[in-house]
Amino acid sequence: MMVTSLTKSISEISGNRDTNLSNDFFLPKGEQMENIISIKDVFYKYPGSDNYAVNGISLDIKANEWISIVGKNGSGKTTLTRLIDGLEECESGSIEIDGVVTDEDTIWDARKKIGIVFQNPDHQFVGATVEDDVAFGLENQGMPRDEMITAVDRALKMVDMQDFKKRDPQSLSGGQKQRVAIAGVLAIKPQIIIMDESTSMLDPEGRKTVINLIKQLRTEQNLTVISITHDIEETQLSDRIIVLNSGKIVKDTVPADLYNLGPQLIEYGLEEPFTNLVAAGLQDVIDFDGYITEKGLIAKLCELNSKK
Amino acid sequence: MSGLGLADVSCTIESGQFTAIVGKTGSGKSTMVKHINALLKPTSGTITVGDHQITPETDNKNLKPLRKKVGMVFQFPESQLFEDTVEKDIMFGPKNFGFTEAEAKAAAEKMIEVVGLGPEYLKKSPFDLSGGQMRRVAIAGVLASDPETIILDEPTAGLDPVGRKEIMDLFKAQQQKGKTIILITHNMDDVANYADKLMVMHDSRLVGLGTPQEIFNDHELLEKNYISLPQSAIFAEKLADKGFTFSKLPITISELTAEIKEQIHGD
Amino acid sequence: MDKLIIGRYLPGDSLIYRLDPRLKFLITFYFIGIVFLANNVASYAFLLVFVLFAVYVSKVNLLFFIKGLRPMFWLILFTVALQAFFTPSNDPIWHWAFLTLSKDGLVIAAYIFMRFVLIIFISTLLTLTTTPIEISDSIESILKPLKVVKFPVTQVALMLSIALRFVPLLIDETTKIMDAQRARGVDFGEGGLIKRIKAFVPILIPLFVSSFSIAYDLAIAMESRGYKDGEGRSKYRVLNWSKRDNWTIVFMVLVTAILLLLRSYR
Repeated sequence: MMVTSLTKSISEISGNRDTNLSNDFFLPKGEQMENIISIKDVFYKYPGSDNYAVNGISLDIKANEWISIVGKNGSGKTTLTRLIDGLEECESGSIEIDGVVTDEDTIWDARKKIGIVFQNPDHQFVGATVEDDVAFGLENQGMPRDEMITAVDRALKMVDMQDFKKRDPQSLSGGQKQRVAIAGVLAIKPQIIIMDESTSMLDPEGRKTVINLIKQLRTEQNLTVISITHDIEETQLSDRIIVLNSGKIVKDTVPADLYNLGPQLIEYGLEEPFTNLVAAGLQDVIDFDGYITEKGLIAKLCELNSKK
Repeated sequence: MSGLGLADVSCTIESGQFTAIVGKTGSGKSTMVKHINALLKPTSGTITVGDHQITPETDNKNLKPLRKKVGMVFQFPESQLFEDTVEKDIMFGPKNFGFTEAEAKAAAEKMIEVVGLGPEYLKKSPFDLSGGQMRRVAIAGVLASDPETIILDEPTAGLDPVGRKEIMDLFKAQQQKGKTIILITHNMDDVANYADKLMVMHDSRLVGLGTPQEIFNDHELLEKNYISLPQSAIFAEKLADKGFTFSKLPITISELTAEIKEQIHGD
Repeated sequence: MDKLIIGRYLPGDSLIYRLDPRLKFLITFYFIGIVFLANNVASYAFLLVFVLFAVYVSKVNLLFFIKGLRPMFWLILFTVALQAFFTPSNDPIWHWAFLTLSKDGLVIAAYIFMRFVLIIFISTLLTLTTTPIEISDSIESILKPLKVVKFPVTQVALMLSIALRFVPLLIDETTKIMDAQRARGVDFGEGGLIKRIKAFVPILIPLFVSSFSIAYDLAIAMESRGYKDGEGRSKYRVLNWSKRDNWTIVFMVLVTAILLLLRSYR
């Protein structure tokens, strides 16, 4: 028992771990998952700007995948998600959502499949009370009132905010507001949830609850998660990390591979994983080669400690 | 809303020190620091800043000399920018505090460099800058009045990791120039890396005061969940579970690696 | 900000809270209209009794209403004084230059004062017991017939409710910006008028900037949640007309009848 866990940990330490591990975890062998989002050669330039904010991006995202999009501010992360949701229209290229190419006519149906939770909890709260806000998306779809009542209750229950139904937004904490925003998104039963730096303005407690909530909902509701973030811990939850720089994809890889880059991560608007920093500080004691998980690091240190 | 924003808080902040204030959202951290430059006045008690005294009777006039001494960087300070050029905005505070035009201009030229932006930014409109750059301009605007004490309310909130570190290093450098720094934060790693003293607030009360090392070793504060540990300390605890022993709880990465080395090489 | 009672909602529960907001809204305006029908001591006394009865039924502390008068104090004093001193009379009690004080004048001044009190009390009662969103729903419901002439009733109502939703946020924002500028040495109560007005520039500009950024973010968020142009939407919040609302109408008819009776009584 001891031995097996140790060897497993050591295999985790070695940089060249099987890159398909995380995908295999969710996909039974031989079953090919459909692309829920398929982006082809997309270009976009903001009016009045000379540079392309999105400069030729092609990207396929599979159903139930958790994708982190990272990159420095201004690298095109938010623009990309806005293009996916049709909030901006691409200059050239195409975006397919659940098999349908989006255009002016199909975008409204596509939006029913996508929910976005934005950065500032105060700037996305439309309703005067929690329940009103959750109902907003349903009202837009013209759902009959009695159906809305069940849908709102169901969504609030999923984010554990049912006791706050009648409260006004000003009386909620940042984390609670974001949970309401998530409920508003869940109410329309989307297939894709986009987190646009949704945890960056929260305190550590709020951040933890929101991340755990998304983790849990992703499995329960079979959601595809696209998360824009600067938080290295958040990226560790994802199956795949897309690095953007000046509107281009410069890396598309699994977390462990990306963390191998070490100090170069800073160029991508990320900090190094804590374990990397510790390992770097222990360089003269032991050779570390690239990214190491916490479990792996602890195992390695225990091994050394017992040898002395 | 009734109840006290602050209840029975007594403490001394030494000049030249880097003091961090931590506590849950709504624990009274912001309320407390607003008393230091009389944005709020106590309903009872006194606050002494250098030779200024703030009491419930303090008049709203003549607070300028005090506010010149105590600079304050609010949460998301970029929202205080309003002038049409960066230069004018940085000069705004100094001019209010009686700097001459030339002195204020010199302060702006100096401070734009201190916050890591070049002089070419001075003539730009602050509203054409990125969020991170606006934050730096706002900070320059506070530093330009040459305050003795700088109060920071989560100055790095919403920034990316690189920006965060640069801003924190900037304030550490200010401390080394003799400024007193008071930092409100949720980030325990920043506390461990930068602070000399740590104050813990809970429910409007001051529940802990000491060096970060002392506070992070205070089991009562940890058990009651008033504070959390920095990453290095959490990692050290995990190692301790596996048989490592530490002479003292490491709170920074360098302390952690030093302890581990000693353990592995030591006898 | 705490001083302003008019326009503020006070959470609570009583018969008045539970009345259909449309009815409350209409009764308030109806009452303001019939205040002008009162023409003698008896009719004013009756209306005062009615308002005090409504306050009693609402279970809201009377002090809130008296506080509600405060911001209007100078306006009331000025109007009342104007009536008292400038009512021409053949039988003055006191006379000096162009000022005349007479019994008639004092009575009219007292009536004017009563009108102020009655109108302010009843409108305070409406806002204290009705959430802003209920008021905006009422306006939408009452204006519905205007849809016939292509007036965008639903859009206007949504705008109104969003505006109301963001008032507390903007108040917070204003306080924060004021604190930040005070910390940078702005003194809002200092100097002459021009200097005082100028002191507000550092507040107004940041406030505009942040309002625009909120508006932009909100528009994006609304569109992403499928908001198109206000048509084809269903409504989650509904207003419920109940029996007690019918009884309230009957009661108001009675009040009007008694008022008309007292009016003709000399």
